[in-house]
Amino acid sequence: MAGAVVLWIVLEWYGATSEVSWLFLLASWVFALLAVCALYAVWNRGLTLQLSMRNSRPAAGSPAEDLPEHVLRRGPYPAPIFEGDALELAVGLDTKGGARGPAWIAGEVAGSKLSSGTGVVPRQGWRHLEVLPDLLRGPVGATGWRISTSDPIGFFYRRKRWPDGEVAVVLPRFASLAGLRQSRQLEASVAAPRAGSGNQVFGIREYRAGDSLRRIHWRSSARHGELVVREYEPPGLQTLGIFIDSSPPSREVADQVARIAASETWDCIRDGGRVVLWAPGMKASEPPQGRDIWALLEWLARYPGAAADDPAPAVSEAVMVSGSADQRLIDAVETARRRGARVRAWVVGETEVVVDAPVERTGIEWPL
Amino acid sequence: MAALTRRLRLPSSPIENSVEARAFVFSAFAVAVLAIVLYGQDYVLPVLGIAGAAAGHVISYRERDRKRGFWRQVFLAVLVFGALFYLIADSSLALFGGVLPQANFAVLLVAITSFDLKTRRNCYSSLWISLAIVYLAAVYAWDYEFGLLLALWALCLGGFWASSHLRRMNLQMRFPARAIAVAGVAALIAGVALFVATPQPSGVPISPLIVSLPNFTSFRGDIESAALPLVQLTGDPSGANGSVDLHFRGRLGDTPVMYVRTGAPAYWRGLAFDRYADGAWTASIHGYREMQPYVPPRFLPPAPKDNLGTFVQTFRVLRPMPAVINAAYPIESLYAPVAALREDAYGTFHTPDQLRPGQTYSVVSYVPNLTQAVLQAEPPLDPAFLDLYPGHAALYTDAGRLSPRARTVAVHVAGSNSSEYDRVMALTGYLQHNFRYTLDLPRVPTGVDPVDWFLFDVKTGYCEQFATALALMLRSLDIPARLVTGYATGDYDAVLNQAVVRERDAHAWVEVWFPNHGWVPVDPTPGVSPLAATTFPSHWAAGGLARLLPHLTIGAPAAGLGSLGALAVVPAAVAVGLAVVLAYAWVRRRRWHSGAKAQPGESELLRLYERLQRRLGRRRAPPETPLEYQKTMPSALLEEVTRAVNEGAYAGRWPDPARLRKLALRVPAKSRRRL
Repeated sequence: MAGAVVLWIVLEWYGATSEVSWLFLLASWVFALLAVCALYAVWNRGLTLQLSMRNSRPAAGSPAEDLPEHVLRRGPYPAPIFEGDALELAVGLDTKGGARGPAWIAGEVAGSKLSSGTGVVPRQGWRHLEVLPDLLRGPVGATGWRISTSDPIGFFYRRKRWPDGEVAVVLPRFASLAGLRQSRQLEASVAAPRAGSGNQVFGIREYRAGDSLRRIHWRSSARHGELVVREYEPPGLQTLGIFIDSSPPSREVADQVARIAASETWDCIRDGGRVVLWAPGMKASEPPQGRDIWALLEWLARYPGAAADDPAPAVSEAVMVSGSADQRLIDAVETARRRGARVRAWVVGETEVVVDAPVERTGIEWPL
Repeated sequence: MAALTRRLRLPSSPIENSVEARAFVFSAFAVAVLAIVLYGQDYVLPVLGIAGAAAGHVISYRERDRKRGFWRQVFLAVLVFGALFYLIADSSLALFGGVLPQANFAVLLVAITSFDLKTRRNCYSSLWISLAIVYLAAVYAWDYEFGLLLALWALCLGGFWASSHLRRMNLQMRFPARAIAVAGVAALIAGVALFVATPQPSGVPISPLIVSLPNFTSFRGDIESAALPLVQLTGDPSGANGSVDLHFRGRLGDTPVMYVRTGAPAYWRGLAFDRYADGAWTASIHGYREMQPYVPPRFLPPAPKDNLGTFVQTFRVLRPMPAVINAAYPIESLYAPVAALREDAYGTFHTPDQLRPGQTYSVVSYVPNLTQAVLQAEPPLDPAFLDLYPGHAALYTDAGRLSPRARTVAVHVAGSNSSEYDRVMALTGYLQHNFRYTLDLPRVPTGVDPVDWFLFDVKTGYCEQFATALALMLRSLDIPARLVTGYATGDYDAVLNQAVVRERDAHAWVEVWFPNHGWVPVDPTPGVSPLAATTFPSHWAAGGLARLLPHLTIGAPAAGLGSLGALAVVPAAVAVGLAVVLAYAWVRRRRWHSGAKAQPGESELLRLYERLQRRLGRRRAPPETPLEYQKTMPSALLEEVTRAVNEGAYAGRWPDPARLRKLALRVPAKSRRRL
């Protein structure tokens, strides 16, 4: 803009010293261009940032390739994404009014700096595809995003910060550990008592067509604003409690803890059981989601997650997965064992953990 | 050497990779060249320059990522120096005709450097040089169509800026088409409005860049031109011994002689004549001094007393003319792209050769304060005049063979006025009011003095008769006077600050000596102001445009309002009130329109209801509610339609199209009974 102002002044000055009126006209046009650009820059707004996951590109060994179709169908939209997969991210702008532009956006997604722009944002919006490879477990955060607009010439700029958000959640990888467990602990699992008589209330869930009216929990329905029914644990159903270390020593250990827990979860649900995930000092997974593999994987993706003081749940079987000797975790496992639950433990790394249960040790490599 | 070239290499920028930006740079150059071709009548080099620049752009774009070749750089540098040589040779020595040497140099420079457009700075350089070419064309642009070229150039500039901006942001060259079109048109209109509404400042002109070279120029003054039919020039090198013979008269046509870009309208003075004998004026002082093409102020007389300022004139010669610099006097400084200049004893400048079409020169002139009050305060003639023209002073008071009758008339008209100014004005007014101007004058009879013939016989004449009569009558009163020739202002355009001077603008007038102001021009020709203008014209396009419109004046309405005194506020208040009411009504109308938008199905149902009433033979009366109407007109269809109307009006539920269609089908064409 400084250049345009200088040009305007030079034209005015040269016009004044040469009596050539055309120079004044040209100077007026340069000045008018500045003014119109200022108005254009004011007009060029009303843009909203759009960041959405378009698809995932599974990497080699990703669980997404092996999951059954009916499980994938209930997965996160548009596709589940696991550790190591690539994410197809649609970044773009929408306009509230007519076409706008030029505009460009810049920010970070999953630690990668992205920037893109367009000369015109059409009425139906503008999209640009970015691919983020080798994602790590956890929420994919979009941080520090800014929408910048200007006039067509670039004299005047406007910059707008966009609130941070979450684009997707990268789930931990998992694999069935059934074969591994059968070869090592076959005899221990033969006579395991199954908890639940079918009369004990396990939790509540939303009302579905066909549910008996007797099962409606009216107090909870009033509180939630929709019909909620009691859910009874069917007789003989396994409830697996996965007790997880809440303060793993490193990210790699945490990832491995999450993978093992996800694998245990997958095995349990596939066998018809339900799973409760719990970590000391953290919010446990919701009991109604005990058979929802995607909800539990998301819990593990966010692990270590939100702080809370949920007590250890009552379960028929408890698996401790830990990377450190957390006494609260060991106490919870002991309590479960005393209540009759079958217990076992996974220890990641070389940490010495004293617990009255069969212990399986592993490193941070995957698959096991 | 490689290290040196690496160091000299300019940093790259993304803009140089933009095809669009380069296209706009080239387009701007093409527009500038077109302007030079159209308004400078300069063809060969501009056309070659366009071809060269096009090739240069293609080559430099293809090789934008390659290193600069050393020998190519050397070759381009040699070409640039060649262009510089052309500029110096043509500006100083007019070796190539001296027609627009600066513009041709700029064209060559752009064409040569187009082969080396590697960086953003290169693109900008090319753009600014094309702006310089546009400026040079603007100096000679005499019509409003040039504004289109200027607008095109401005659009190219805007396009270059826009493409540079997008390239820097790594975006594609796309914009919201409608918004950009609106913005472009708005900028053009706003620019014109700003140009019209803003007064144009006037500043001190810049001295040209002058290169002093050895000068072996010879002057030739043997030129006779039909463009200046008042003056017959004969072979004196100074050109000062031309003559104005009142027995003859050349033919004056409408052919343009020159264009003048000027900050103020003025008379373009050429030669001066001091001796009158046998009906002819001649110049008797043959001294001169030789000067460089640029004559700075220090070589010229100082600014006149009570100087009001300076103004610039740029002359473009359109047809062969005598080697005389016509300009507004007194001159402050002068530049002409010729080998040398000569100033004669009368202050007139001469060029070595005849002025050719296309040649230009620039002059800066003073605007002396020559108002009535100033000149009336002049002291009586003093001996300084005699000192100024030693040996020639008597010439300026020599009335020659002016007849006693004419002398008597002069004394009688001058009357008892004591001041020189009053006597000059008395004689000027006498000639202006008692004699008629005409170009259809018969030949002066043989043996008759042209002045006596004019004063006492025909009593009509043209500028030469009037000027000669005044000069001689003033001389008879011992007031120094001389005749000068040149051109009147011409067709002056106050918006563009330019004048088109034609053959018919050739003019003669008188210069009268005043002790404090030197030679003061006085024009006795009827229909013109006797004294030169002493104020600058309004450098304001709005004022200039207003003057271009015939009969447009706000003087009468303003005077009418002024005569009302304090009541003058009333019409203004009424006008403002009316504007406010109209604006309010417009806003209300817009709101009403936006608020009264019909719901889907509403209009259709009401139209159907109206049609049904027509079929029933009685329209619903205004005080009647639809229900009351329906009760008086028993009809199943009306009942149904009335219900739909009430539902729509009171519950906002207007019927859907299907229901409307069914109802409409049930309305018969004519019969009332079937309802």
